[in-house]
Formats: sequence, structure tokens, C-alpha cells
Amino acid sequence: MAFYWYHDDPQLYQAEVAAMQKFFPSFTINQLQDGSGRLYWRGKVQPTGAGGMVWDLMLIYKNDHPHASEGEYGGSIQILPVSPRLKDIAEKMMPLIIDTYGTYDNAVKHGFGLGLPHIYRGNFGRNEEYFICTADPKYFKAGQTRSTSAASALSWACKWIMLCEMWLNGEISDDVAMEGNY
Amino acid sequence: MSDNDAIAARRRALAEALRTGDPVVVTPTGEVETKEEAQGTGMTAIQVPDGKLAKED
Repeated sequence: MAFYWYHDDPQLYQAEVAAMQKFFPSFTINQLQDGSGRLYWRGKVQPTGAGGMVWDLMLIYKNDHPHASEGEYGGSIQILPVSPRLKDIAEKMMPLIIDTYGTYDNAVKHGFGLGLPHIYRGNFGRNEEYFICTADPKYFKAGQTRSTSAASALSWACKWIMLCEMWLNGEISDDVAMEGNY
Repeated sequence: MSDNDAIAARRRALAEALRTGDPVVVTPTGEVETKEEAQGTGMTAIQVPDGKLAKED
């Protein structure tokens, strides 16, 4: 068994490429230059349409793709916004979050411990970065015949971005952002 | 209805669709649309799979 999923399962690799080329043809695939061998897609999206923010995203495969386990938010495809950077937005939001919830502990209780809804932190290179929680692991398909593709993960991410922009604009409440049927 | 009103109305409709779990699609530029909108444009679009967003505990 090969170490890299794309060597181990070339058909899956082809299916991943085909899905991205069909649904998000402007995205390109590359390999991280950190020696990990991890593949990633990079491209820009504008989920709220004309007038909305343009997001420059990296979709990074873990080497055990397709895989999802408890606490592995978004399964084996991590979504990292390069621009805007989530950590920067989250740090700007944190004082408002603390004002709203009184204390940091209370903000954590309401799911806003990182300053934005539905995000998680992880290491990327030498930095700690904030990633989009695209879906609860139980929704990430990791079977031999069906698996969640980067295209599906990107569609989840676009939904998250829309939710996030609406929340930042005050169009939806904290409760809806955190507990709505998203 | 002005352009701004139309944009605001569309955003409200999308927010409601997301809140209620109605299916939405994403176009090649990453724009989120209702299924009805996408059918009108005839553009290739991926339907967002079911799945509640996760959050760090």
C-alpha cells in the first residue's frame, strides 16, 4: 500500500480531478512544497455573487484521503482561506464577541471561542491557521465506493462563506449562525 | 425594485433556504444559488451535499 492516496488509488485521483474540472474549472492542483507530498487545489470563489468578497482558497488533501474520524472536522480535505485570512478576521471579531458574551468562557460555551462560527485551528507550515469546518465528520463519505470529493468539500465551504459573510453583516443572528440547519 | 433591493431580497431568500435546509447549489465561480435560480441560468452547478457544519468543541 502506497503512502500517498493518489498513488494508492489512481482512479480516485482521476475522479477528484474530473469533478473539480467539471464544477470548478478555474481551480488548479499542486503539491505542497513542504515535503509532505500533500496535494492541494487553489482558486478563487465569490459565494455571495457580484459585490461580495472574493475568497482565495486552498483545499488541502490529507495523505489518508478519503478519511473522516471523530473530531476531524471536514474529514480529509482541509479548507484554508488564504485571503481573507480567517485568523485575521477572527481576531478582529473577538472584542465584539467578548462584549456580547461577557467573558471568554461564555463565548466558548456559545461556540465562538475562536471568534467566528464553525471554524477550527490547526498547524500549517510554521503557523497556526484557522480552517473552515465544512461538515461534521459523520457527513464526510470515506467508503471504498463513494467518497466526499474536493468539489463537494468546496461546495460546503462556499455555503460556509455565505453564512459567515451574512453573520459578519448582521443579516443572521449568532444563534442561527451556530445552530441553524447549515 | 432597485438593484440594491433585489440583491437584498435575494440574500434574504438564500439565508432562508440555508436556514430551512432547502437545497442550494454552487456555480463554477463559487456563487451560492437556489436550485431554481441555477435552473434558470442553465449553468453547471454542484448541489451542496447534506451535512451540518461542524464546530470545534
